[in-house]
Amino acid sequence: MIYMNKDITYVVLADDDEDDRLFFTEAFEELKITTKVETYEDGVALMDALSADDALIPNILFLDLNMPKKSGLECLKEIKKSKRFQDMAVAIYSTSASEEDIENTFVNGANIYIKKPSDFNTLKKILSDVVTVNWQYHTSGLNRDNFLLRL
Amino acid sequence: MKRLKSIYNSERFLRILFGSALFVVLCMGGLAYKYIRDLSESFKMVQHTYEIHIELEKLTTLLKDAESGKRGFIISKDTTFLSPLLNNREELAETLKNVKTLTIDNPEQSANVVVLEKKIDESMAIFDLTLAMAKDSLAHTQEFRNAFTRGRFTMNSIRNKVNEMTRHENELLKERRDESSESLSNAPLMVYYTLIISLVILLITYAQLSRSLKVLRNKNEQLETFVESTNQSAMISKYGNWVWHIEDQIFEFSDTLYRLLGEAPQSFEPTIENFLKYVHPEDRERFMEEVDQMYVSQELNNLHYRIIQKDGTRKHFKAFAKLFKDSHGHHRLIGTTTDITDEKENYRILEEKNVELERNNEELASFNYVASHDLQEPLRKIQTFISRLEGKELDNLSDNGKLYIDRIKTSASRMRSLIDDLLQYSRTNRSETSMELSNINELIDTAKHDLAEVIEEKKAVISVDILPEMKVIPFQIKQLFLNLISNSLKYSKEDVPPVITITYSKTKVSQMPWVKSVRHKSYHTITVSDNGIGFDPSYAEKIFVLFNRLHSKGTYSGTGIGLSICKKIMTNHNGFIQAEGTLNEGATFTVYLPIY
Repeated sequence: MIYMNKDITYVVLADDDEDDRLFFTEAFEELKITTKVETYEDGVALMDALSADDALIPNILFLDLNMPKKSGLECLKEIKKSKRFQDMAVAIYSTSASEEDIENTFVNGANIYIKKPSDFNTLKKILSDVVTVNWQYHTSGLNRDNFLLRL
Repeated sequence: MKRLKSIYNSERFLRILFGSALFVVLCMGGLAYKYIRDLSESFKMVQHTYEIHIELEKLTTLLKDAESGKRGFIISKDTTFLSPLLNNREELAETLKNVKTLTIDNPEQSANVVVLEKKIDESMAIFDLTLAMAKDSLAHTQEFRNAFTRGRFTMNSIRNKVNEMTRHENELLKERRDESSESLSNAPLMVYYTLIISLVILLITYAQLSRSLKVLRNKNEQLETFVESTNQSAMISKYGNWVWHIEDQIFEFSDTLYRLLGEAPQSFEPTIENFLKYVHPEDRERFMEEVDQMYVSQELNNLHYRIIQKDGTRKHFKAFAKLFKDSHGHHRLIGTTTDITDEKENYRILEEKNVELERNNEELASFNYVASHDLQEPLRKIQTFISRLEGKELDNLSDNGKLYIDRIKTSASRMRSLIDDLLQYSRTNRSETSMELSNINELIDTAKHDLAEVIEEKKAVISVDILPEMKVIPFQIKQLFLNLISNSLKYSKEDVPPVITITYSKTKVSQMPWVKSVRHKSYHTITVSDNGIGFDPSYAEKIFVLFNRLHSKGTYSGTGIGLSICKKIMTNHNGFIQAEGTLNEGATFTVYLPIY
């Protein structure tokens, strides 16, 4: 079931890079938003955790694309097949911003595409923006132009 | 073709001429035969008349002789005068018989002869009577005198009759002569005319023949030249010809075909069996299948096979043949066999190069991936960690430490722009996007928008002409102007606000001496000029070379890739870019885009 605490946003990150997981959790720690953050180090670990019967469905899932065992795109496809995750927003969180990756993830139903910034303050700003977006509204107005998050 | 047609025409003309000449000569022969027959006929007639004349003359002479003999006897009583009379009787009968035969075809004369005979008989009776009386010496009697007178009368009437007959014959002769002389006098003239006509026909024939011969000789020379040049081209481009005479089931190989097999021309009998000896054993079965098919379908479509020459050299051949029907209705299959060994070899080399090129491209693509992903990741982390240090630990650092952090930061960001520019450069490919008709002013506006911050900061003034629509790869042309404008902004004078002017004109290819192969008549010409620091004109070519920088890193930031990207973009568009500069006065970049 989806996490329903109105005051706390439940975010999950799947990324094989230890440093990126560190930046991610530190950024949320420094932000003045009450969030619950969980990280997984590959696609298989993420999907196993999410597929458990009593698993809580996060509000926003951040997916790295280039991961061992199961790539971000494979995870995305699996997620979009299941009705269980229909209320969960998926943000792609990747180093590359190649046209091909953007196109593929957009077509497969990701909500937003974030290119990992090279500045910690920028990262904080992005994450804060993404968490405070009204996803209900954003999803209905989904289009190709504002898919890639630009700052 | 036209000349050949005239030869065919002249052939028909000649046939007509010869036909008419033959006809004329035949007519002439017929006429001559008729004339000669007429001539001999009339000669016979004349002879006939003269014979009658002679016989009649003889008749009268005989009668006269008898009479004068009788008279001589009466006067002299000498019996010797009577001796010829006995012979005369027989001769007279003979002559009369002759006259009868000669006149048998003429009823009038026959009637005359009957009268004459009667008169002669009568005269003979009187003669005999008077002669008997004279023998009995009764010559002085009145009776004798009467008989004698009667004899003279009869004699006269005979002479008259003979004269009448002679006259009649003469008339007949004259009539016949008139008749034949009229046609005979025309005969020489007719013969002469026909001879002239025949001669004229012969002359025309000769003229026509010699003209046709001349045309034929010319054609022959042309043909010989053609054959020679065909042989030459066959030798140079390595092909040979062959002909299969379908009706006769025989082959004919050209000299060059023998040479292709490495043999002397016409050194063996041109048969499929002999040719097959040269075909590569692995290809023989297929080759024969195709040939058998050819016998049935009467054509051959690009048969590829290998041959082995006697010295072991292997060659690749290609054969093609098509049915040809000549003017006599004979069917021939005319074929060409080409030695495509070089072609195959070149193709193989080309394929190898292609494979190599593909491998290179793949390597380049994987390099791109490495550069875009794997190189950027550690760099991004370095930068993020620096920002963490700056944000959290700056107070714990000494002044030196702060300086080092600053330097690391500068180097890292320089590395980032290098990677970004390199990626940009390697992604600037033609195959990526196709050309489309674009509004160039819009593309320049987008580029200006991307640079708005710097433009604002430097207080730059950019003026742009109204440009026509052009067929370009839009994002590349946007990149081109982005790079050129940012170049002008970067190399502006420190204390002077940059002024960038973009103007448009058209240039004919004849005014562009560096264009080697002319593919387009004229070019859109866009110039971007500024009032910046300019450059030494001797570097005008060098500034487009990858990683080439005219300034030290400290003075002006830049990767040395921007203008190389511009150059690559222009190459993708089949266009050109040129730089002009004066040190401390400004630079002008001119872009030439082909007008399609």
